[in-house]
Amino acid sequence: QLDHGRALHTAARAGLSSVSTRDVPAERPRAVFHTSESDPAKHSEQHEGRLYNIPLEEVKAVFPHGLPYRFQQQIQTFNEARVMVRRPALELLAYLKGSNLAHPAVRYVIYGERGTGKTMTLCHVVHYCSRQGWLVLHIPDAHLWVKNCKELLQSSYNKDRLDQPLQASVWLKNFKASNERFLRELKTQKKYTWGKRESTEEGRPLGEVVEQGLARVRSASDAVGVLLREIKQQSHRGSFRLLVAVDGVNALWGRTTLRREDRSPVSPEELTLVHNLRKMVRNDWSGGAIVTTLSQTGSVFKPSSAHTPHELLGKEGFDALDPFVPIPVANYSPREFESCYGYYLERKWLQHEKAHTEDGKAELQFLSGSNPRQLDRLAGPL
Amino acid sequence: RIMPVRWSRYNPSYLEPEVKKESYQKPLEKLTDEEREQKELKAVRPIKAAPPTLSSSVFSDPLISKFTNMMMKSGNKVLARSLMSQTLEAIKRKQLEKYHKAPENEKETIECNPYVIFHQALKNCQPIIGLSNITKGGKTYQVPVPLTDNRKRFLAMKWLITECRENKHRRTMMAEKLSQELLLAFNNEGPVIKKKHVLHKMAEANRAYAHFRWW
Repeated sequence: QLDHGRALHTAARAGLSSVSTRDVPAERPRAVFHTSESDPAKHSEQHEGRLYNIPLEEVKAVFPHGLPYRFQQQIQTFNEARVMVRRPALELLAYLKGSNLAHPAVRYVIYGERGTGKTMTLCHVVHYCSRQGWLVLHIPDAHLWVKNCKELLQSSYNKDRLDQPLQASVWLKNFKASNERFLRELKTQKKYTWGKRESTEEGRPLGEVVEQGLARVRSASDAVGVLLREIKQQSHRGSFRLLVAVDGVNALWGRTTLRREDRSPVSPEELTLVHNLRKMVRNDWSGGAIVTTLSQTGSVFKPSSAHTPHELLGKEGFDALDPFVPIPVANYSPREFESCYGYYLERKWLQHEKAHTEDGKAELQFLSGSNPRQLDRLAGPL
Repeated sequence: RIMPVRWSRYNPSYLEPEVKKESYQKPLEKLTDEEREQKELKAVRPIKAAPPTLSSSVFSDPLISKFTNMMMKSGNKVLARSLMSQTLEAIKRKQLEKYHKAPENEKETIECNPYVIFHQALKNCQPIIGLSNITKGGKTYQVPVPLTDNRKRFLAMKWLITECRENKHRRTMMAEKLSQELLLAFNNEGPVIKKKHVLHKMAEANRAYAHFRWW
């Protein structure tokens, strides 16, 4: 079974140029669908369809939040984090490498059917940017901010808006875990007053703003707003590059499921977090890029068949995000499917005796339709 | 023709559906005479409808389907099947974690295949001898009686499911509890094995009444 996969791979790779020394199939059959290149900057077409390893300490540092739940479970079971290098991610990385940082930030929207790997593509890009030393503003799922909020406070800064202390504090904690260095280096440019006795002076490191938000949960959303504003203003200077990575950006426009105490519905612009994030996603700043993902799975009031940008963002969202670079993500190609299947076999994830046979493989391919999520869910009990 | 729907009995001329892929892929020359006759018969006779449990998938297992049907409540097969797959996945995860953390010499002893664990656990839970109520002279006695294979399988599955439904914390998921019970039963521990031993002891205690049985 593994031999068959190996033969296919060597045949497909016949036309490619030199490969890294560990990918010799003769001694190490493991390495056909693996690659030892764990730096996303060096990924190119020869690595397409292969899985690369992210060391576990790096996973904890770069992704305190943002990885899908099933992938986190997989990391725990296999004791390693392997991400597949796929064409949309390579395309995005090429654009980012060639982008001119003096120009206004370019917006990239990753879209596709359900379960095709949009979030994983985003995580690949985030890993690349954090390796390159960019400041990464990663919002794991914007849908979490527009639904299931237990506490809605009226914002002290602006009477019309509503605060979400819990969501803001959770996000601040995770942001602090991944970007310690920048929080020490960047300084505030204005004095901010949090209440009667608390204020942050000009020139203090941004880490203090985050501490303030974590300590006083009531002002956490305002702390997030201050943080976003400071980072945006300082990004054009060129001392650091900024990546704004938003998963589920279609939550920022549309409707929310939240209601005020008088049971009147809340629209997204009345939430401080969403308001500040919308300002971040506008392309009026330079020195970085904005990579977003559309997502129907967590969305509210959207039919399950909607997956194009126009359907999910609506007119308002589309006009706000326009112009953007669309990046479609599709199901696995036959080669990627072989890779994934081989990886599951090697890690002993597919335990059923029939799963090792050709019939089992053909059945898995047919039942999942080469959809990554379906393959993962089918291979679970097998 | 009028066919009664409930407990419908097909007309005897109806043939069973053939699900195995191999039988359709055989070329004409290789068929023996009986198979050729069978094929011609299928061209003329009507075929019964395939029951929902019949599957041509290579991954289907009759024991697992039976267990899923027993777990099903009010016809919600989707839920029962998803619970079953979550259980198998939970067993596999636990065993794989143990496998990866174990030292080299112990790795062969750890069984990671959830199907093997499931079958073995059920076999361990099956009682060898059962009790049946026999009324003689106005009094009912618990008489030890041999059990058929079907009855043994049924009792094992029933005990497992009732144990998981009743003796769990409100917040534990069924899949989680079932995986725990199956792993315990695989190692011959746990409440279901205890129940089987209690039954055996009762049968041993009542062996004086064994001659009341007339079958």
